[in-house]
Amino acid sequence: MQPRVTDLQEIGAVWRGETVRATRSGRVVVLLLLFMMFVGLSLTIVGFLSSQLSAKAEEQAKSAGVDLNDEKVKTQFNEGKKQFLSVVITDDEEMLDSLLALPVVLLFVFKLTLRFVPLLIALMGFDQLAGELGPKSIRFLVVRVKRTNLILGKFLSQVTIFAALLAVCTILMVVVARILNDDFAAKDVVIWTLRLLASSFVLAVAYLALTTLCSSIVKSGAVALVLNIMILFGIWALAFVGENFAFPGTVKADDGNLLALLRTESWAAYLQYFSVWHYGQDLLHPAPLRFAVAALVHLGFALVFLGLAQLALKKRDL
Amino acid sequence: MSQPAIRLEKLSKHFGLKRAVDDVSFEVQEGNTYGLIGPNGAGKTTTFSMMCGYLFPTAGTIRILGADPFEPGALKGKVGVLPQDAILPPQWPVGALLTYFGQLSGLSNAEAEAKRVLERVQLPETWSLYANQLSHGMAKRVSMAQALMGSPPVIFLDEPTAGLDPKIAASVRSIIRELKGNHTVVVSSHNLQELEELCDASAILDKGKLVSAATMADLTGRLAEFRVQIAKGEVPLFEVKAQSGVKDARLEANKVLCVTFDGQAVEPEEIITRVVGLLAQRNVLFTSVWLGKKLEEKVLQLT
Repeated sequence: MQPRVTDLQEIGAVWRGETVRATRSGRVVVLLLLFMMFVGLSLTIVGFLSSQLSAKAEEQAKSAGVDLNDEKVKTQFNEGKKQFLSVVITDDEEMLDSLLALPVVLLFVFKLTLRFVPLLIALMGFDQLAGELGPKSIRFLVVRVKRTNLILGKFLSQVTIFAALLAVCTILMVVVARILNDDFAAKDVVIWTLRLLASSFVLAVAYLALTTLCSSIVKSGAVALVLNIMILFGIWALAFVGENFAFPGTVKADDGNLLALLRTESWAAYLQYFSVWHYGQDLLHPAPLRFAVAALVHLGFALVFLGLAQLALKKRDL
Repeated sequence: MSQPAIRLEKLSKHFGLKRAVDDVSFEVQEGNTYGLIGPNGAGKTTTFSMMCGYLFPTAGTIRILGADPFEPGALKGKVGVLPQDAILPPQWPVGALLTYFGQLSGLSNAEAEAKRVLERVQLPETWSLYANQLSHGMAKRVSMAQALMGSPPVIFLDEPTAGLDPKIAASVRSIIRELKGNHTVVVSSHNLQELEELCDASAILDKGKLVSAATMADLTGRLAEFRVQIAKGEVPLFEVKAQSGVKDARLEANKVLCVTFDGQAVEPEEIITRVVGLLAQRNVLFTSVWLGKKLEEKVLQLT
């Protein structure tokens, strides 16, 4: 009598096994330490710079006889913060208003961390399939599970482990930011923790799928890692080039906007739409629709990467 | 006549310009132990890998218990495989690894089954050892154990005794012998004596082509000839040839008397007894008698 196993059961069995294997290996601990070191270093540097700036501002206010608790002064301070953020983060008014509640330290460390996330994901999962293809241990698996389910199970296992790493580090960031900023209200702490977790998780899913794809098309883990990093640089380059050109016909229309005037019109502006990185900004957007669209685009990219990984593994000799 | 459990039709596999397997067709009957024989580069492992669904054929078809091995999930629960060069994942303890394999196969009692197969290959003490702590022989037997999990009806064993010491190799052969009848087993090996002893039938490959596919009796001529190793004395060839049922008798190199007989008309044991009786009467001393040709001789002749 042949055992009857559904696809979900197969995926579940691969997911369980791979998650247990990953947690048993030292790599997860090393990655967690690496992630925490990065967050810690970023917090230290950004926190130091921020506290220096605050101290200077307070000193200047004191010498000018300005009361920092005055509502007018607070509003002025927020306007200054918004101007600063509009230059370095976004010029979206709604988003800037929303980011005012977030301590600058947390915002900057989080943004830095997001840049680090795709690299960390590549380091974590580069050999998930390539590490089985080279030594041919995948041969023990494919007579037992469908290749499709093997990929999905391994991908979900990576998602689970990375979600846990992300949760630990995000909570650490928020806790430190709360300690450094007394005016970071408890309600905001909860809301922002959830928003940061959701946005970083959604962002990570696309890059986790990319790593699965890279690992499924080459037999060597090292080559998969290099390929993954090269594609990441490609993704960042597309976004950078695209975002630094103006869409054709938009400079004149926006001639009141100084930043738009600085940019040259070019079809290359459309390149940003091909880069998943471009959509990451909206994952922190306060408008639910903007967040949903960004999340869907990330999931769409994840599906494309996973689809290509399926195709690669299904058609290849093992 | 039993049904073919495995059927290969006009199977080819090309790697660029190299034709690793070229137009190979044969069948393996259900319950048989079948050998894949050939020198290095003959295409044994490539054929084996296509049967297991690892390599896609360039042309031709394969059916394992009526299923196409390239259909997703087609081999689940039907096939156990000991691949030749696959390395056990090093980060797993053996017991957990086998249990994981059992769960992937959908076995409800995966852990108990893992223990059972480890017992069967006489390695229960490796349960807690990591796969990268195993010696070559142990790893081979653990790989064999995973192929036996869930008692699949078809079992593929690629070089199951390669690199094993004689005692362990004998125990592996004994396991294969026990599988006979209840499982269809395909064994690829360079050890022709082992295959001759274990297999009911064999395919001989050379340079990617099938040079022979037949029962072991037909391959070795067990039903058509026997040989006697002469030690001393003059063989009366005319008298031997005159025995009823004997088709021909000749002396081969190293004083080996080869007698060809009509396997349909006379039982091998009857004709052997008559011929060696005649030799004894004529004071011809001999050291051994064996049926047919050694498989090794046949393979050397064909490849």
